[in-house]
Amino acid sequence: MKPASPSSWTDSLWSWCKSHRDFRLIPRIETYPGVVAFAQTALGKLVLLGMFGSGFWFANDHGLPRWCLIMGTFTLTTFLPRHRRLILSIGISLLLFRQLFRHGDIFRGGIVLTPLAMNLSVIAVGMTLFWCARRWPQSIFGRRPIIFWLSGVTMFIVCIALMKPTGRAGFFLWFAVSAVVGYMWFIAYALADRNAKPVADFTLEFAALNPIWGSTNTPYPKGASYLRRIEAKESVQLAITQLKGLKLLAWAILLWLVQTEWNRFFHGYLGIPSPGEAMAMWARGTPPALHLRWASHILIFYEIILRFSVYGHSIIACCRFAGFNALRNTYRPLSSVTLIEFFNRIYYYFKELLVEFFYYPAFFRYWKSRRRLRIVFATFAAVFFGNSFYHVIRDWYYFRDMGLVKGVLSDQCLFFYNAVLAAALSISQLRRRRTRPSGFLRGQFVPSCGVAVFYILSMVFVDESRTYSLAQTFKYFLSLFNIHW
Amino acid sequence: MNAKDEIRQFVQKLLTENGDDRPLADDESLLSSGRLQSIDAVEIITFLEKKFGTDFSEAGFDREQLDSVDAIDALVESIGPPKG
Repeated sequence: MKPASPSSWTDSLWSWCKSHRDFRLIPRIETYPGVVAFAQTALGKLVLLGMFGSGFWFANDHGLPRWCLIMGTFTLTTFLPRHRRLILSIGISLLLFRQLFRHGDIFRGGIVLTPLAMNLSVIAVGMTLFWCARRWPQSIFGRRPIIFWLSGVTMFIVCIALMKPTGRAGFFLWFAVSAVVGYMWFIAYALADRNAKPVADFTLEFAALNPIWGSTNTPYPKGASYLRRIEAKESVQLAITQLKGLKLLAWAILLWLVQTEWNRFFHGYLGIPSPGEAMAMWARGTPPALHLRWASHILIFYEIILRFSVYGHSIIACCRFAGFNALRNTYRPLSSVTLIEFFNRIYYYFKELLVEFFYYPAFFRYWKSRRRLRIVFATFAAVFFGNSFYHVIRDWYYFRDMGLVKGVLSDQCLFFYNAVLAAALSISQLRRRRTRPSGFLRGQFVPSCGVAVFYILSMVFVDESRTYSLAQTFKYFLSLFNIHW
Repeated sequence: MNAKDEIRQFVQKLLTENGDDRPLADDESLLSSGRLQSIDAVEIITFLEKKFGTDFSEAGFDREQLDSVDAIDALVESIGPPKG
């Protein structure tokens, strides 16, 4: 009998995996009619709240008052879903006012009102701009409000970085910068929603500026218009959405445990350095062994996926529990077979931000008759310019510490990484519609490994410490291949 | 074949290319549900520009307008081909 070829046994394995694709470590409870029906009863709601509250306590380090405020808000939105938007707005206001007590001890000289005043001022500015853009859509501002807003924020930061204020004035001005940067993309989304259908009230706009479920500088999950679309309208939808939220929170906790053990094993027990440590040792002339450096860069790829999954899942879990059926931020990134698919799956809401504010505007306006050039141009607008802009502004404190020019120049590795990523994603999009090979090896495994290899290699240039120049990082990159230049 | 049929056929083709063989209702959400991605929206935009002469740079763009076959059809009807 002829022995089975490698492709035939891998294909058999692939077929077996596909036939068992319905297996779930955490069962799909939202598809069980009995569970959904129970989740709609008063007792079911209490059970769900209890389970979610316990998980939320375990998964986050918020402290008891914050936990009580958030879970109290969720309890009200669960039992009074018709008043969800108002309840969320009140919950957020209470969280904002909590800052009075939270930050009070770190500000000397009786300026405890600063964080609250700054945040409220920025929210007021955002709501006013939104109202103006809706009220006067044909004005210069109304036609291009996002460009006005983003360039206004940039000018504000540049002016303060050039003024280099010190003392109490410096404290206030830089605090204003931090507040503006914190709300920058939330307000941009509000302005992007200016053309959405007329609404009875703007409570959701207010709630979306400061989501109670948390976020990073990137709004999860986008703005109020999107929230309206994904909001649970009926009791059964709410039950399903909350069950999905509970399931996602369970995932976040599971992955957090994996992350903890991962770090303990690889970095503690095996002593593999982080990429930052490996590069610092290399720069000092005492580089770790080559296999350790490679291990460090391979590990960070998976660690970033874990990190994004853990915090992204906990935020989206809370968003779902509040009654909004948002998509996950990270969804099976390792199954991606193209670079663009990975980019879409690893950090969905950041990708959406780049698409909304950079890709689409460039795509609609330029090179309409030349499809390929149009895609490449729009991709560079988003992934090179947009991504660089986002990170340069987000890390405003480098302007404060290093000055404007040095602060921007310290990002040279990021600019290089973004340029490489933009070029690769352009090619990936242009090749997207090609027929993919079938079978596990050629259709799934090899392309997935290719995606991982690209990101592992390109991420060597992601220097979060901003310590090294591009030339130094390039030398380090070559040293990974035993090329010493 | 009317405009809506052509739109439905194109969207169905996009879904099939993404490995999604589930049936499609005209009012079913495409982007909010995650069945189509932003890059697929780009494909739809290119299709609408070519097929119906829709000019988004003039009309403005809200992704909600591409979120279902019904919504796309309504968009095409409301914008229409470019003037002049």
